[in-house]
Amino acid sequence: MKVGFFVGCNTSFNRPDLEQAVRYAYPALGVELDDLEGQSCCPSWGTMPSIDLVGWCVLGARNYTIAEEKGLDMITVCGSCYGSLAESKYKMDTRPEVKARVNELLKEIGKEYKGTSRIRHAVCYLYKEVGPEKIKEALKHKLDGLTIAVQPGCHSLWPSEVYVDKEEDPFHPKVLREMCEALGASAPYYSRLIDCCGMGAMRSTDMEKSFKLVLRKLESMKEEINPDLIVTGCSSCLIQFDTAQEFLRKDRKINFEIPALHYMQLLALCLGADPQQVTGLAKTDVSRVVNRILEG
Amino acid sequence: MSSAQATAEVINLSEGELDLVNEIRELGGEELLECIQCAKCAAACPMVLAGFPFFNKRVIQAILLGLRETLLDDSSIWACQSCNRCTEVCPRKVNPFEIVQAMRRVAVREFALPTLSIEGIKSLYDTGHAVYLADAWQSREKVGLPKTPPSTVAYPQALKDLQALMRKTALADLGIIPMGEAGVTDTCEV
Repeated sequence: MKVGFFVGCNTSFNRPDLEQAVRYAYPALGVELDDLEGQSCCPSWGTMPSIDLVGWCVLGARNYTIAEEKGLDMITVCGSCYGSLAESKYKMDTRPEVKARVNELLKEIGKEYKGTSRIRHAVCYLYKEVGPEKIKEALKHKLDGLTIAVQPGCHSLWPSEVYVDKEEDPFHPKVLREMCEALGASAPYYSRLIDCCGMGAMRSTDMEKSFKLVLRKLESMKEEINPDLIVTGCSSCLIQFDTAQEFLRKDRKINFEIPALHYMQLLALCLGADPQQVTGLAKTDVSRVVNRILEG
Repeated sequence: MSSAQATAEVINLSEGELDLVNEIRELGGEELLECIQCAKCAAACPMVLAGFPFFNKRVIQAILLGLRETLLDDSSIWACQSCNRCTEVCPRKVNPFEIVQAMRRVAVREFALPTLSIEGIKSLYDTGHAVYLADAWQSREKVGLPKTPPSTVAYPQALKDLQALMRKTALADLGIIPMGEAGVTDTCEV
């Protein structure tokens, strides 16, 4: 199996330890990664999508053409990349006039968008193409006794009609919970499980309001399931949970800290990766939970 | 909570601009007139929980009333998370997210966009990444990765292609950012 790795801005520049985790875990599970040389931003919501529909699609399409020329699907660990690329593709594939205008522009650089490659969610891809059973067999460390609060991330769920990897019911997502359980952890339901973390455009526009949302989630997690670890399916959610807690503690809104990792980082650890390489840039203190994993 | 009080102001309907409806429909909000203000979208929206005065349902309502200036004076539309819960639940297939996006496109055409957004667009053009940190090579090396990801920052021709495409889009007509042919130089953190 081979798939293109669409890295995305935040993972490349803010959390390259997450990039390294993907580069460790995928091959360890028998999936080869392709670099998709020359990939760019997806483009993210506040840029071209906020200016012009065709401008949004044509930048997405340029990324797709790189994968199409290699005959590969792409995976991403970022919700925004997943959402933006899936939505631009959906528009081009369902509206011939949009696709025609995009291809008119792509002629400028000698490319054509065909629609033959797809964007897949890195966690859902493993869930479907490798499967929890095979993942269990490959583990070097198990998470027995560990309680995880999962944060799937908005863009892995909605709008479901544009995604290859759909949940049975996007308002009751199961994939991330089952993938954590495959590692031996428990991943119980909590009442704010599908709530937005407040990262992204909201945090750029109004940090106080953004932190209101993440605080509500943190309080719900702490009170209802008291997790050892927060595990996200999205790099933006990861950054929010990893950085907002310190602000909230200084503000005396919380008196605890829950370490936060992306699922791919947790998986890489369980598959035997070097903790410094795959979690080394975390702001929350992940050392205790990492040591516990290495002992497991 | 001062921004929330903006909604309590008296709205003068005779000042409404009817052109706004057509502009929104042309800029991607084709299904605008299907909205029956049932508020299912609002019930699913993170912006409501966070306390922003204009979320999906109210943005649509304000557009239908032609309240262009009211919307342009408020930053709410830029806080939309693009999460698409509203798209999922809308019983009339209005696609409220697309209408918020269309309202952003209206705002951009009047230069009513946040500085951070301009910086993100500039960074996208200059580097191929809306979020780009020039000193990220240090943390990349620390975790055992090459200094640059395999993207436009490592492949100059790919960046040139991306810039050529961007110069062909509506962005070029708007004059929001300089669109020359320089390489990767600037830093932008969003």
